[in-house]
Amino acid sequence: MAFKRLESSDFVLSSDAISSTLWSNQLTTLTAFFSSSAQIAGSSGKFYLTAYASSSLGSPEFDIAYGNSQGSGSLAYNSTVTHVSPTSTVYGQYQDLVLGDENTDFAFGALTATEFFALSFERARYKESLLPGSLTLTLRSSSATLTLTDNSRIVTIPQYVGTNRVYQLVSGSNGAVNTGVNSGHTSNSGSYGWLLPDIGTILLNPRALAAPLANGGLTFLYSASSATVTPDISPNFSLFTAINGGASFTLNSNETISSNYIFIRARSSEYNYSENPSFISGSTGEIIFNSFINTPRTYITTVGLYNDTNELLAVAKLSRPLPKDFTKEALIRVKLDF
Amino acid sequence: MGYLDNSVVTVDAILTTKGRQLLAQGNFNITQFALADDEIDYTLYNPNHPSGSAYYGEAIENMPLLEAIPQETQMMKYKLITLPRGTAKLPILDLGYTSIILKQGANLSITPQTLNYLGGNTFETSGYTATISDVRLFNAFEGIGIETQQAQALNQTVTLGTSVAKSVVGSTINLKATTVNTLFGSNTQLSATLTIEGRDSGARITIPVIVTKIN
Repeated sequence: MAFKRLESSDFVLSSDAISSTLWSNQLTTLTAFFSSSAQIAGSSGKFYLTAYASSSLGSPEFDIAYGNSQGSGSLAYNSTVTHVSPTSTVYGQYQDLVLGDENTDFAFGALTATEFFALSFERARYKESLLPGSLTLTLRSSSATLTLTDNSRIVTIPQYVGTNRVYQLVSGSNGAVNTGVNSGHTSNSGSYGWLLPDIGTILLNPRALAAPLANGGLTFLYSASSATVTPDISPNFSLFTAINGGASFTLNSNETISSNYIFIRARSSEYNYSENPSFISGSTGEIIFNSFINTPRTYITTVGLYNDTNELLAVAKLSRPLPKDFTKEALIRVKLDF
Repeated sequence: MGYLDNSVVTVDAILTTKGRQLLAQGNFNITQFALADDEIDYTLYNPNHPSGSAYYGEAIENMPLLEAIPQETQMMKYKLITLPRGTAKLPILDLGYTSIILKQGANLSITPQTLNYLGGNTFETSGYTATISDVRLFNAFEGIGIETQQAQALNQTVTLGTSVAKSVVGSTINLKATTVNTLFGSNTQLSATLTIEGRDSGARITIPVIVTKIN
């Protein structure tokens, strides 16, 4: 017999959380950022700016968008209709996506804001979610720098806004919060933003970034004037410049992989002969070595997993041949990922 | 620092083409396994090694193995089987043919027999699985004589149009060569391989199949 039925106890289902760097170049920290002038000048440039890890562009890492409830920061779609522009579209878009209420504004710590910067990561980069506690984002404006992380390591129960887990962005790095001043928040401009791990997004609070250094801010300058038209002074480009100046962005992805483990058990009396043509000599089926008649030895190289109709559904190869004879039992754990 | 647990060998499995197809259909259900020794050349085993019995398998045991291939017809070619200790001859299949050459539209029935199995030559109770590597070569490719639910389920599988393998189960395998001229193009014959496997013994044989054009 070549086939052996598996028992229910041979199957084990396991879910493992896998985290890895977010960036396409597989580096832990992204230190250089590039943009595409064609993208900025194109129709999508009114809404967001795409950041890349390489001067040759390649696959995008994240998009930067500025949202403003009053439509400031970009030209109105139509000069006869005020307060309706790409930035108000972005604001409403995230209001709907994150808050689920068009009448509610964003609360960054103690500050209720009607504007934000959104860093929206490519789905292929963050896989299932962003990993809270892995963020280190350094921003630079003029000669000042500010390093941000999330507060996931000091909160016992995540805050929920709508259906989204929310962690406040605070001063610190790699999940460690600078709690000495205002629990990592600014003095009077709230937190620095939100980490929304389940939708792969970071919202930054422009008011906190623009606050004076003494209040924990960065004196970050950006133009929220509705007359802004040129890309080099758009809010998106200003934030891109600050991120590029900081030259340090660390963030990990998180993914839960469900694996089926199947335990393959070959008893001592089983699988000691082979249908391999080199196991026999001649055309009559005689075993190649006389010593193999009473002490046969085989080498397991492949495990095949079958259904009831003997159809081969999955196959696994060992890294090296596993000897098997009447004095040995084999236990092989086959991992099948979905 | 701790030592890795090496009491269990862990390997990663990949889905075969058939496995992906059944997964998409919601019929993915692993119920049994088999072991194989594909890639092993037992003539490398040296029972006369001057350094003693610990070295008999030296040339085999350290060899690197190739990665798994998703085509189910290319894997698990040589299964390991369970036989009583002291077995001197292994089961082998006798089809009565070492190759098959059929003209367009011709019929052929194959009734495999297993030699050296269960004390002699026998027709296996569970029948034989026949796999044609390109189902387009035949207008009819069917197994008869095994009426189990599993065998019937496999025999009723319909494969349309493309160059894919098809498996059927039976104690007798009936073939009818294709009558479709367009398959030949400018060629005068089509070729494929037919693999027969004993469902009880695991014995296996592969022979070439050629269909020749007649007009």
